[in-house]
Amino acid sequence: MLEFLQYPFMIRALLSGVFISILLGWLGTFVVTRKMSFIGDGIAHASLAGIALAVLLGWAPIPTAVILASIIAVIIYFLEKKTNISSDMAIALMLTTGMAIGIILLSFYQGYQPELMSYLFGNILTINSYDLWSILLIGSVVLIALPIFYRKILFSTFDPIGSYLSGINNWIFDLLLYVSTAIVIILSIKLVGVILVSSLLVTPSAIAKMFAKSFKSFTLLTIIFSVFIVLIGLILSYYLDLPSGATIILTGTALFILAYLFSLALKRRSIKT
Amino acid sequence: MLIEVKNLSYKFNDFTALENVSFEIEKGDIVAIIGPNGSGKTTLLQNIIGVLSPTTGTITIDGEKPRDVRKKIGYVPQKFEFDRTIPISVHEFMSLEKCGKKGHDEKNIIEALREVGLEDVEEKQLGHLSGGQFQRVMIARALLHEKEILIFDEPSTGIDLVGEKTIYDLIKKINEDRGTTCLIVSHELNIVNKYTKKVVCINKQMVCYGSPEIVITPETLQKLYGSGTGLYHPHNHIH
Repeated sequence: MLEFLQYPFMIRALLSGVFISILLGWLGTFVVTRKMSFIGDGIAHASLAGIALAVLLGWAPIPTAVILASIIAVIIYFLEKKTNISSDMAIALMLTTGMAIGIILLSFYQGYQPELMSYLFGNILTINSYDLWSILLIGSVVLIALPIFYRKILFSTFDPIGSYLSGINNWIFDLLLYVSTAIVIILSIKLVGVILVSSLLVTPSAIAKMFAKSFKSFTLLTIIFSVFIVLIGLILSYYLDLPSGATIILTGTALFILAYLFSLALKRRSIKT
Repeated sequence: MLIEVKNLSYKFNDFTALENVSFEIEKGDIVAIIGPNGSGKTTLLQNIIGVLSPTTGTITIDGEKPRDVRKKIGYVPQKFEFDRTIPISVHEFMSLEKCGKKGHDEKNIIEALREVGLEDVEEKQLGHLSGGQFQRVMIARALLHEKEILIFDEPSTGIDLVGEKTIYDLIKKINEDRGTTCLIVSHELNIVNKYTKKVVCINKQMVCYGSPEIVITPETLQKLYGSGTGLYHPHNHIH
C-alpha cells in the first residue's frame, strides 16, 4: 500500500514537504493575524528574478532566490513603514518588478529550460538531494529562530504600541518575520511553485481559525492541518498522477470546505442543545 | 514634576499639527486633554509616549526622554486594531508582556482582572469581549505590570453610559489607590469636569491649562469648538 515509499524522490518530497509545511503553518498564523496574506504571493512572484538570474548564470537557484527574496522582504517592509505607500501597494510594486526582471532575464536564455516550469508550478520529481539538504539546513535556521523570538513577534503582532512600551524594538521582530516568511516561501516553491505557494501560508490558518479557542491551539491546529494537507496532497498526486503543487492546494481547499461544513454543523448542534 | 512638555511643535511635512504647546503634569495627577477633532490630541499623545519626536521643543518624563522611560507607561487605545476573529485568550493577551517573576503568574492575572471588575473572562477569547470589557482588560494589563503612567485615548468611545461610568470610576480609583498618573483624551466635557483634576485644552496651539472648573468656560469652549457648545447641567442650562 505504501509503495510510494520505495521511491527516493517521494521520500525527498515527503521529508521536505513535512518540514516546510510546519514552517509555513507556523508563519501563516502571524501572516494571517497581521492581515498580510498577500505577502506570500508578492515575495514568491518577485523571486522569479532571483531564479531567472541563477538559471542564466548557472548558480544554485534556491540559495540565490533565498537571498533575493530576503532583500525584497526588507524593501517591502521599508516601503510600508518609511513611505506613505500602503502594504498592498508595496507588495504589488515588488511583485510586478521582480516578475518583470525575471521575464527579461529569461529572454536572454537560449533554449528550453524545463526546470523553470518546476519553479512556477512545483514538481516533486525535481527535488534532488541538494534541494532537500538546502531546505533542511536553511529552514532549520528559521525553525530555531521562531521559538526563541516567538513571544516578541506575537506581542508586536497583536499590540505594536504595547510591545514598544514594554521596551521591544518592534522593527527588529517585524523584519525577522518578513525575512523568515520570504525564506520559507522560497524553500517551498519546488514543492508547490511560485504561482501557488501563498495558499499554503493561508489555508491551514483559515481552517484552524474555525476550531481554535486560543492562539496556542490556533498555532498547533494550523501546523497539524498544514502537514496533513501537504502529506495527503503529495500522496494523491502520486496515485492520481497529477501535478504536486496544484494537488496540494486543492487538498487544502477541499479540507477548508469540509471544515467549514463541520463547523456549521457543530454550531447548529450547540444552538439546539 | 513627572511630565514636562515645553514649547512642543510637531509638523508632518508642511502641515503643522501642534505649535508651541507647554504644560506640566505632576506625579499622581489625573489630567484630561480636550480639543476638537484634528486639534492634535493624538499627535500629542504619540509625542508623550515617544512614538513621534517633537519637531521643536522638548518632552521629558522624570527628566528623561519618553522613549528611554517608556516601560513606565501603559497605553489604552481608543480601539484595538486587530482581527477579532483571530483566537487569542484574555490570559494569553495578558501574558504577552514579560515582566520578571510576577507577570505571568496565574494568580496575579486573575487578581488584576478582578480589580477591574472582570471575573471569569481569563479563558474567553479577546475578540468576544465588548468594547468596555476590552478597555478594562487593557487597564488590568497595565495594573499587572505596575505602570506609573496610564494614557487613555478616548476610553469611552463606542461604550454605553453605564460602561463609560464604569471605566471612569475605575480610572479614578486607580489614580487614588495607586497614585498612578492618568492622562485621558476625551470629548466628554461633563466627564472631564467630574473626574479630572486638570485639563489641557488644545486646538493645535495651547488654549488653556488648569483645573476644569476654572478653565472650562464658555470662552474656552468657543475657542475650541466654536459657538453653540457648552456644558450640560440639570435644569437645562447651557453655560
